[in-house]
Amino acid sequence: MLQSTLILIILSLFIGAAVWLVFIWAVKRGEFDDIEGPKHRMLDEDDARSGKPNRRRDS
Amino acid sequence: MTPDSMVCAHCGLSITATERVRGRIAGIDQDFCCQGCRGAFLILTDAGLDDFYRRREGEIGLPAGAYENAYGEDYLANFVRPDPDGAQLCFIVDGIRCAACVWVLEKLLGRCDGVLEARLNYGNHRARVKFDPTRTSAARIFSAVARIGYLPRPLSVDQGEERAERERRALLIRFGTALFLSMQLMGYSLALYAGYFQGMDAQAKQIFHYFSAAVATPVVFYSGAPFLQGGWRNLRNGVPGMDLLIAMGVLAAYGTSLYATFAGGEVYFDTAAMIVTLILAGRLFEGAARRRAAAGIDLLLRLAPQTARRLLGEQREEISASQVRCGDLLEVRPGERFAVDAQVVGGETEVDEAPVTGEPLPVWRRPGDQVAAGTLNLSALVRVRATATAANSFIARVAQLVEEAQMRRAPIQRLVDRICALFVPAVMVLALATFLFWSWRATEISPLLAAVAVLVIACPCALGLATPMAVLVATGAAARRGILFRGGDILEMTGRLTLVAFDKTGTLTLGRPRLTDVYPAHGSVDELLALAAQAECGSSHPLAQALVAEARRRRLDFTPAQNVRTLPGRGLEATTPQGSLRVGSEAFLRQAGIDIPPSTALEGATQVHVALDADYQGVILLEDALRPEAAACLQQLHTLGLSQALLTGDSPQAAQRLAAKLPLSSVHGGLSPADKAAWITAARAERERVLMVGDGINDAPALAAAQVGCAMVGGTDIALENSDLVLTRPDLGRLVEALLLARRARILIRQNLLWAFAYNLLALPLAAAGQLAPVHAAAAMALSSICVVGNSLRLGRKELLRPEIRVN
Repeated sequence: MLQSTLILIILSLFIGAAVWLVFIWAVKRGEFDDIEGPKHRMLDEDDARSGKPNRRRDS
Repeated sequence: MTPDSMVCAHCGLSITATERVRGRIAGIDQDFCCQGCRGAFLILTDAGLDDFYRRREGEIGLPAGAYENAYGEDYLANFVRPDPDGAQLCFIVDGIRCAACVWVLEKLLGRCDGVLEARLNYGNHRARVKFDPTRTSAARIFSAVARIGYLPRPLSVDQGEERAERERRALLIRFGTALFLSMQLMGYSLALYAGYFQGMDAQAKQIFHYFSAAVATPVVFYSGAPFLQGGWRNLRNGVPGMDLLIAMGVLAAYGTSLYATFAGGEVYFDTAAMIVTLILAGRLFEGAARRRAAAGIDLLLRLAPQTARRLLGEQREEISASQVRCGDLLEVRPGERFAVDAQVVGGETEVDEAPVTGEPLPVWRRPGDQVAAGTLNLSALVRVRATATAANSFIARVAQLVEEAQMRRAPIQRLVDRICALFVPAVMVLALATFLFWSWRATEISPLLAAVAVLVIACPCALGLATPMAVLVATGAAARRGILFRGGDILEMTGRLTLVAFDKTGTLTLGRPRLTDVYPAHGSVDELLALAAQAECGSSHPLAQALVAEARRRRLDFTPAQNVRTLPGRGLEATTPQGSLRVGSEAFLRQAGIDIPPSTALEGATQVHVALDADYQGVILLEDALRPEAAACLQQLHTLGLSQALLTGDSPQAAQRLAAKLPLSSVHGGLSPADKAAWITAARAERERVLMVGDGINDAPALAAAQVGCAMVGGTDIALENSDLVLTRPDLGRLVEALLLARRARILIRQNLLWAFAYNLLALPLAAAGQLAPVHAAAAMALSSICVVGNSLRLGRKELLRPEIRVN
C-alpha cells in the first residue's frame, strides 16, 4: 500500500515537473507577453506587425 | 574618463595612447584597445547582450559600482533637464514592490543634500527628482538610490518596457511555480485530512509530512521571495508595510510546520503555500491593471519616433531623436512621424494630428506652420526646423503632465496613508494578543493559526490601492480622450463642482471673429482699418488677428507701430508718426479722455474703437460665431445640476446677445481679467465650487482664482503648465466628458474605500476570534484587492460616458 502510494506521489511530481518546465519555457519564449494582441491580429492589415491592437481613434 | 585610467570597454585592459581605438556606440563614446575588441563590443550591444558587461563583474544582487560602469557622470548629465528650481532628473527604479518602497525612496532621496523634491510613481516605477545642480549631481542621486538596494536607470521608453516585461515574466514564473507546487501540496493535505478522520499509519503520515515540507519550501523561499525581501526591507528601514505582514504570516506557518514535522504534531504547510500563491495571483491582476492604465502615456510617448533624419548641407544622417537640437534641419518623408516639435520650412503636406489633438481630419501644413512631435506626415516630403528637443516636445510634456498627475495625491489619499501607518503596528500587536489569548485559553482553536489569519487578513492592500488605482485609471482614460487632469486632487474637486464660469472668446465661441462693419468717424473705411492694423499687427489676440487679416485682404499698406503697450482686456496703446494711437474698448477710450459719439447701430457686436491722440477715428465691428456644440453642451451641464456663468471682457450687449441662446444663470460683460478673478473669488465666498473655462492667456488670474482652472488649447502650449485641467482640443463636449468622468471617479473612490474598510473591519474580529482559517483569509484578501482593481478599471470603459454627450 505505502509502496504504491509512494510511487504514485513521485510519479505525479515528475509529471507535474514536466508541465512546470513547459510552462517556464513558454513564459521565457514570451508566449504570455501579449495576451490581448493575438485576437486582434487577424483583423490587422499587413503593416501592423507589432502585434498590438490597432490605434483606435476617438471620434 | 581620464586618460591615465583609460581601460578598454570590452576586455577591461588598460590602453596605451598609441593603440587607442575610439568608437561611438549607441550614442556613447567608448575606448577600446584594438579593433577586435570594438567589433566584439558592437556585436554584443547590437544583439542586446550588454548585460554581459554587468554580469561578468560577478554581480549577484547589486555590488557597489555596478551602475557606475554603465552610467558615467557625463552620460547621466544628458538626462538632466533644466527646471525653474534648478535641475530635474527622471529615471527608472528597479526593485520596487510596494507603496512602502516608494515611501522609503522618496524619504531617503529627500534627505540627500541638494535634493529639492523626489517623487516616485508607483504605477510605472519612474522617479522624478528635482535638485540643485551646484550641490549634487545625477551620479550622486543614482548612488544614493543604489546604496539602499534599488537599481536606478536613466529613463528612455524602451528601457521602461524592457524592465516591466522582465518583472512581469519573473512574477508569472513565481506564480506558476507556486501554483503547481501548491496543487501537489493540496493532494498531500487531502490524504492527511483523510488520515486525520480515518486513522493513518504513523509512518505514512511522516512520509506525507516530509513530502509537504519538500514541496512547500520552494514556494515560501522562491515564490515568496518578493514578500520576504520586502518584509526584510520594511524591517531594516523601520517602516512597517504590507510585505512585512505577509512575510510574518507565511514564515510563522512555515516555521511551526517544519518544527512539527520533526517534533510531531499537525503541519500547516498548505496554509503557508496558499497564502503565497493567492497573494501572487492578486499581484498579477494588479500589475495587469496598472499596465493597462499606464498604457495611455506609453502610447503617447511611443508615438514619437526614436530617430530623425538630419540634413547637413546636402548630406543626410540618421540620428537618435534625443540628439536633435533646436534649429536642426530635418527631413520627414510621407508616412513618417515627426520626431520633435518643428516648423515647416520647405514643402507642403497634410498632417494627421489625431493622436495629439484628437482632431480627426488631416490638417494642411505650409512653410511657417508648426508641427508637433508624434504627428504623422501624410502626403509629401517636407523639411522642418526643430523648435524643441525631443524631451521638451509638446507630447513629452503632455506625457509628463499625466505622469505628474498620477503621482500627485488626492487629499483623501493622504488620510488613507496616515491611517495605514498606524494600522500595521496595530495589527502586529493584535496578532500577538490573539496568539497569547488563545494559548492561554487552550481551546481547540490553534493560537498560531488565528494569529496568522489576523496578520494575513489585515494586510491593507485594498485600502492602499483604492484611491491611486481609481485616479490612475481615470487620468489614463481622460488622457486618451484629450482631457488632462493635473492630479488626483483636481479629479476629486472636478467631481464636486457646482458652478462653471466661461470665458466667451475662444471658449464658447470659435475665437475667430469676422469683421462685420466699419464705421469711420471721418475718412474712408480703408484708412481706419489701416490705422487699427498698425497697432494690432503684433498682437495674437483673435480680434487683432481678424482685423489684421481683413486689412491684409484689402491689400492695405501699413507699417507696424512702435512701442505697442497691451492692456489686457481693454486695448492697445501705440506710438505712431501720426501721434498716439489707441485701439480698444469703449471704456478704455473714455478713460483716456476721448469723446465717443453715441451710436445706436452698434448693439450686440464686439466693438473696437480707434482714436488718434484725442481725435476719435471710428469703430470697427466684429462678430464671433458660437461653437456648434456649445448650446448642447451647456444644456447637458445644466441637466447635471451645474449653474453656469459667462464672464467676458466684451461689451455687456455682446454678452447678452450670446447668452440669449444659452442656459446661463448669470451673464457679465465688460470685465477685466482682474474683475473676472474677483467675481470668482466672490462666488467661492458663497460656497460655490467654481470651474473656470478659458483660453489661458488673459484669463490666467481667473483660472488661478477658481478651484479648477480649465484651459482649452488646440494643440498649442499656451496654458499647459498653468491650468489644472487641459482640453487638448477646443471642444466643449470634452468638458462634459471630463466632468462626468470626475464624478464617476469620485463615486468609485468612495465605493473602493468603503469596501476596503468594511472588509477589514468585518474580517479582523473574525480572524482574531479564530473563526477564519489563514487560507481563507489569504483568498479573501486577494479577492478584496481584485474587487478594488476591477471596480476601478470600470472607469476606463468607453461606454461609461453617455453617448448623447458626443455632439460632433
